[in-house]
Amino acid sequence: MKPSRLIVVGALLLTGLTACEQAPPIFHAAENPSRLSDWNLFELNATTLTPVEATMVFRPANQLFTDYAQKMRTLWIPDGLQATLVDGEIEYPVGTVVSKTFYYRSDAAGNLRKEPEAIDQSIELGSNKLMETRLLVRREAGWDAFPYVWNEEETEAFLRVAGTSQPVNLKSDTGNLDFVYFVPNENQCAGCHVTEHPDGDMHPLGAIATQLTASLDYPLSNDSTQIDEMIARGWLAESPNHSTPPSWRDESIALEDRALAYLDMNCGHCHNPEGAADTSNLILNGEHGQLVNMGLCKPPVAAGGGAGDMLYSIVPSQPEQSILLYRMQSDAPDEMMPELGRSLVHQEGINLVSQWIDQLAGSCD
Amino acid sequence: MQRVAKQLILLSSLSALIVACSEQAPPEPELSFEESLQQQLIQAQPGDVIEIPAGTHELTRGLSLTVDGITIRGEGMETSILSFANQAQGAEGLLVNADDFVIEDLAIEDTVGDALKINESNNVTIRNVRTEWTGGALTTNGAYGIYPVQSSNILIDGAVAIGASDAGIYVGQSTQIIVRNSRAEFNVAGIEIENSTFADVHDNIATNNTGGILVFDLPNLPVQGGRNTRVFNNQIVNNNTANFAPEGNIVGEVPAGSGLMVLANDSIEVFGNEFTDNNTAHVMIVSYYITERPFEDPNYDPFPETIYVHNNVFNAGGSTPDSEPLQALQAATGQDIPDIVWDGTMVPGKSAEDILCLSSNGDVSFVNLDAGNGFAAPSFDPSTHDCTLPSLSVISLSSNAD
Repeated sequence: MKPSRLIVVGALLLTGLTACEQAPPIFHAAENPSRLSDWNLFELNATTLTPVEATMVFRPANQLFTDYAQKMRTLWIPDGLQATLVDGEIEYPVGTVVSKTFYYRSDAAGNLRKEPEAIDQSIELGSNKLMETRLLVRREAGWDAFPYVWNEEETEAFLRVAGTSQPVNLKSDTGNLDFVYFVPNENQCAGCHVTEHPDGDMHPLGAIATQLTASLDYPLSNDSTQIDEMIARGWLAESPNHSTPPSWRDESIALEDRALAYLDMNCGHCHNPEGAADTSNLILNGEHGQLVNMGLCKPPVAAGGGAGDMLYSIVPSQPEQSILLYRMQSDAPDEMMPELGRSLVHQEGINLVSQWIDQLAGSCD
Repeated sequence: MQRVAKQLILLSSLSALIVACSEQAPPEPELSFEESLQQQLIQAQPGDVIEIPAGTHELTRGLSLTVDGITIRGEGMETSILSFANQAQGAEGLLVNADDFVIEDLAIEDTVGDALKINESNNVTIRNVRTEWTGGALTTNGAYGIYPVQSSNILIDGAVAIGASDAGIYVGQSTQIIVRNSRAEFNVAGIEIENSTFADVHDNIATNNTGGILVFDLPNLPVQGGRNTRVFNNQIVNNNTANFAPEGNIVGEVPAGSGLMVLANDSIEVFGNEFTDNNTAHVMIVSYYITERPFEDPNYDPFPETIYVHNNVFNAGGSTPDSEPLQALQAATGQDIPDIVWDGTMVPGKSAEDILCLSSNGDVSFVNLDAGNGFAAPSFDPSTHDCTLPSLSVISLSSNAD
């Protein structure tokens, strides 16, 4: 046996020995293990899935809609390493692991429930159903993204590079939602996390400087930002000094700020000046320059049936004549926006964008 | 031997430790056909051949490939079928963004959107592939069957495309293209070359489409300036299917009964084709203004130029035009629409010969619609186009696939 392999085996042995205590996560520099437990990101027992102490549970100021799933996100930077700031953005060191676990509340009968967004520090298995855990791993060559799917027994999640799908019936006080829950494949991960098409690199969308300049429970409070916590953990030496982005949930701020914050988080990863959707020249990440490029009285380029026989992306005061809203309201795979990440429509987002368009002044005539 | 034994002991004690905290390791999940196919596409290494076995394989999600140098190979376009009749996710059947790509001997059926989209790829071979919507010509069908866009060195050979609500075989914003030995049927556009340069379209059959073959250049796209396309030795027959494109799409403007339409493209050579029973007109040469769509694009040239139509065979056609100006023309003349129709528009200072040359097309009929003057004075004399142009060069692809 080569010495290097001995060292690897030795390291694994040590890991094994300490696995019953609170060992930190394990960074896999090249291979993707088939089992989520091999990353040691969580402590899992018969009742609870708990992130290990070395990780930080975080939540971006604005969140992508994913079929009303609950999400618990963790960030981990290996001991002794630190992120840096480059042009005001966080540059994570090799070895960083970001996780996002998708789950639904469940009732005593095992039915999945549509509930308002929860901010959990751990997941009780008795009152929740685990769906998947997606990882973003910073390796030597860049970020890699891949999903793990939980088994029915909730004892392990397995690597599924091709994603998978599962029918879901989501119960709520106002009725049931039947849909297919899709776990994205690796190429689809890049569909959102590569924001410069086609040659850009994968990168995080939530664990970024602006989105972390907010409390975990923002906008309920904003006392101490998650950037502060990173600094306290020694993960950052200094604050990027961003202001907290407006939250689309914050009803105390201007409707336009809320709507644009929503469109940025849900659309801006493709609809930006370098993104996969730049061919349409509809820019929704705030960098639109002229209002026409934000959709105002903008004719479609290649929307096909997705244009819904309408003439413009946004018609002031006429949400029902606005292609942008039409595509948010669609659940047809060839028409709906975003193309990925949802099977259901996001009624709260539709209401927000509809109200915003409704009060816009002017006309397209 | 001793070493191996030692390793085994180490490994077994190791796994004992790893599972010490749980009772037993849960079993790995089993993958469905589509999951294992997508997994192969993700984990493929350059040079790999991914085989699609015989049979009809049901898929619910769009497939995608981003690895260069991959071949996807079935056992025949009637044998290995990827059916998306129950597709619930993805705007395409198969989306490829990879160089040196070959797909052959299989079919892609009933996708919700485009069947085979190839984006920003170089060296692409599509051979003996069928894309089809099996319910016939429906507006709800996906837009494009075989759809390379912003790509280069593309060979489409022996393909079959049926039922697309835009174009069956559509090459857009691309360069160095060969489409040959293929059949396009019951699409809105059979074969369309759009905003592209250097294409050979030959020995194809375009039949029962709304328009058989279209060569278009459109404004407001990232790549434009379409030119240098040869359309030769094709059978362009009976393209009279009512236009079923969704509202608002440019191809929705194509009249049923169009054989070949050249819109705003330059340097097009059309020869050796046989045109039969296209009931609006066999050949139409038009500017973008014929669409009556406003555009703002200072870099865009809306007029066709240097179009050379020679040595074609024109059979019956033009009997029931699906276009108001042509219906008016038919009413005025009491005759079928002529074989070759030019809208008559051009940049001031150009001559008719700069736009269109006609040579050796047998007993051909012709009309200049005078569209620029409200169709006021159509003329039927082809002698102003009695000229020849140098032949365009043969397309050869860098991949040597041809």
